[in-house]
Parts: sequence; structure tokens; C-alpha cells
Amino acid sequence: MGIKFERVNFYYASVDDKKYLALSNINVSINETGELITLIGETGSGKTTLAQHMNALLTPSSGSVDILGVKINRENVKKKRVKLNPIRQKVGLVFQFPEYQLFEETVEKDIMFGPKNFGIDEATAKERAKKMIEVVGLDESYLSRSPFNLSGGEKKRVSIAGILAMEPDILILDEPTSGLDPLGRNALLNVFNTIHKELGKTVIIITHDMNTVLEFASRVLVMRDSYLVYDGNPVELFQENNIKNWNLDVPDILKLTHELEASLSITLPCIPRSRDALLAMLEEALT
Amino acid sequence: MITINNLTYEYEANKPVLDNVCLHVKKGEWVSILGHNGSGKSTLAKLIIGLLRPKSGEIIVDGIPLSYDSVYDIRKKVGIVFQNPDNQFVGVTVRDDIAFGLENLRVPRSEMIERIETFAGKVNMLDFLNKEPHNLSGGQKQRVAIAGILAMHTDVIIFDEATSMLDPDGRKMVLESIQALHKEGTTVITITHDMREAVKSDRVVVLKNGHVLKEGPSKTVLNDHEILEKSNLELLLPLHVIKRLREKNLSNERLESVLWALSLNA
Repeated sequence: MGIKFERVNFYYASVDDKKYLALSNINVSINETGELITLIGETGSGKTTLAQHMNALLTPSSGSVDILGVKINRENVKKKRVKLNPIRQKVGLVFQFPEYQLFEETVEKDIMFGPKNFGIDEATAKERAKKMIEVVGLDESYLSRSPFNLSGGEKKRVSIAGILAMEPDILILDEPTSGLDPLGRNALLNVFNTIHKELGKTVIIITHDMNTVLEFASRVLVMRDSYLVYDGNPVELFQENNIKNWNLDVPDILKLTHELEASLSITLPCIPRSRDALLAMLEEALT
Repeated sequence: MITINNLTYEYEANKPVLDNVCLHVKKGEWVSILGHNGSGKSTLAKLIIGLLRPKSGEIIVDGIPLSYDSVYDIRKKVGIVFQNPDNQFVGVTVRDDIAFGLENLRVPRSEMIERIETFAGKVNMLDFLNKEPHNLSGGQKQRVAIAGILAMHTDVIIFDEATSMLDPDGRKMVLESIQALHKEGTTVITITHDMREAVKSDRVVVLKNGHVLKEGPSKTVLNDHEILEKSNLELLLPLHVIKRLREKNLSNERLESVLWALSLNA
């Protein structure tokens, strides 16, 4: 079933009564399982607005979004024909600044809040808190601490653990790694990759980090001025002539590859998608 | 310009976030402070501008010891740009926002107008003076924040992960502004874990668990993978390539010079 956008437009009303188009004619389908999608584009291009339509936080101004069999459009939501709560549990959305949403006395209570809200009993919620704090790379001792005395990166992980504890089918993360140190970033990306690979869930990551796109994504969506301008494979995307027009950066790995190929007059057999792949190919080319 | 002596700070008793930190930043220098999440980097910045009070130790800015009485004098010398561009706007327009700091300093109106235009021009935001801040991109917002600080004629600007929430374009714009300021003699402290940013600075201080783990010229420290690994950081990609090729005896001088040049332009 997944998520299906059909001719979706969305506009915000601005102060001068003008309509401000944030999504223009979006048509896209996302599978319920097995995808790791990165959603990229400049600030203000509509990435977050698009993501907020995926769990019915926003309703299209026109067109419809089918979320796991529930049709979200203006009329259905207005007439309360659809239940939104189950959607929010099935499609977990981690906001861009999740650290601002922590509010409980302890980390444990904060992680348990989501699942309990969706009707999970206390004991199970506790169990999930214990499991998820480790999944995001923190140890059990954090559970009894106050979320307010944690560093920015730690808060981020706690809030992600809270969403994971709801066991959503589809997980959407809005810039989950901005502000994290490189090791923390890699660890968290590996967590998302594991959720995608081992649990078979669809994970959607909004990011500005092109290396993440190249290394992890099976599919990439590019937003530009409210339009979805690209939907395809990341390796292909970075070969496109259009990426300059879309104000996208080329991943470090590819920049380095191009420079080395030019200055050493070598050709690598394939396009490396990770540091390790690049090093292995380079070694082979130089030996 | 800034001297920090035996500085200790704790949020919870007996769990120091900064433990006996000593640090010196010279006038006109660009120093990067690196470290893992929770290493105490941002706390250090907040202490320097007197947003937090140390448990012990001293902070001296341009000869003035930071104290309850001197904090406002120190803030005339040291400005800070925070991580989240949305959290630092007070004005209805860009012009109002840059004016805010000047109003607090009671700068006369005619001079205020002049300073706003001068410094908005410096960060390439002259055309935006009458715009509302929330209509700007992240990179533009950060540049307005920089102009607001510059207009106050501060000697030092601290950038607390000021590029980490920006898109690639915004990051580039802000980085160019930082480089220009440094060239003109402003003392710059960047708090970051972006190696591409740190490599452009003069000197690097690596914090770990509240201690100074390593300090030295950027090019030396950022090539020390053991130190970086200990701090949850990673080598810049070109330097990583050099290290690996050396291990396999595949490196040569020409190759390394190409890679070094790349690491400086990352």
C-alpha cells in the first residue's frame, strides 16, 4: 500500500493574503517496505512540507495522499471521515529539532510517552525504552537521567528512540544528523540502515549531506521550488547535468574521484559510493 | 585576546563538563574548537560571553577579567552566532534586527544607519534590509546575525556550529563571510565538528570530556587520526586517502600534494 501522492498542491497563506505555494503538483509513490529514500533540496524547497504530508500532519490544499490505505484529502479530513491517529503511529516522523520536544522528567518517561499514547501498556513501553536507548547508541544509564542535562546530540538520539519505540512501519527523519559529531552521525546512519535492511522497513531521510545520499540511499527525491524535480537512483543523480541548477553539492567522494582521475590519468572501474569503496578501487588502480 | 585559566564548569555536582581548561586565543587568530557531542564545546562558548558562570577559574578578554560587573563590557568585545538561525531574531525587518544591538549600545541614529548599511554590505545582505527575517534562507539569516554583531564593532566573533544546520549553499556563504572577517583582522573562534571548516583555521583545540586533548596548528592536528578517532571525529577524505595509500606503499609526493590541495578546498 505505502504512501501515494496524487496531484498534490499545498499552499501556506502569507500575511499579505497571497498564497505561497510549498508543494506543486506532486505525484509520487513510496513502498511500505524495503526502501531507503533520501529527500534533498535547498532550504525552503518544500522537503519538510512534503514529509509532513506523509503522516497527515498537513492536508493537501488540493489532490490527495493515500497513506497505508487511508485517503487523505481536504474533504475527508474536514468531514472527519478518516482517523489520523493510527497513521501517526504507523508513519513515525522525527522532526528537525526533536530535542525541543523532550519534556519529561527522565529519558525513560520521554521514550515511553509515544507508545503509551498509542495504547501500549506500561511494562511493554518500559521494555521498548530499554531496547531503543541502546539501538540509538546510548547505554541504559541514560534512562534515569533528565533529558534537559544532555548534550544536543544526546537529546537528538533520545527523541529518535522515542519514535522508534512506537514501532512505526515507515520512519521519516527530518535532518536527523545535523549537529552530530562524525562518529555519532555514522552510528545513527547505520541504525537507520539496519532498520531498513533487517526489519525491512521503509526509511525516509531528509538531509543536506550528499555523502549520506550516495552511501545509503536506494532512491533519492529532489525538491526544487515546491516541485519534485528528480526521483531516481543516487548514482545516476550525481551524473546529471542538472545538479548545478538544483543547487546541489557533489559528494566529497565523487569530487575526490574526479580530481584524482584527472590529475593521475587513471579511471576507476565504477563510481564508489563509500570511503572504503573508493580506497579499494584506488589501491587497485595504483598497483 | 582571550585567556582562559583553570576553567571548571558543572551542570550537575561533581560531573564537570569542563575540567581545568586552559586556553589562549591571540588577537587576529582563527581558532577552531573541535570535540565530540557533549565534550563541552558549546558550554565553553557560553562561559566566554558570560551566559554561564564558571564554578572556578578565570576568563580574561582583552585585559578585562570577566565578572558580574564586566559582563556587558565583555559582550561589546565578543559576539556569538548560534547554531540555529531561527533562534536569534528579534527584529521585524533585517534592518531592525541589525539595529537591535546598536540600540542597546545607544549608538546615535545617524551613525546607526551608517553602520547598518556598512555591515549589511559586508555580508552581502544590503538588498535585504527591508525584508522580514523569516523569509530568508538559513544562510542568509546567519549572515544577518553576523552583520548584527559586526555592527557592534566586536573584536571577537564566536561561531557555535553556525553552519551545521545550513544547506550546502548556505554553508558556503557563511564560510566565505568568516574567511573574509578573519582576513580583515577579526579574532574568530569556530566551534565545529566539520573538518572542512576546521582545516581553514589557523589553530585547532580538541576537547574531550571537558579536557583539552590536543592543541596545535590545524594542518598537524587534523592529520593526526589517533587524536581525531579519540574524539569521535574523522580525517578529511583526502587525508584519509593519503594515510591509506602510505600504509600500502602506494603514495608519492605528487599524489600527496594533490590530495592536500583538495583537503584545503573541501
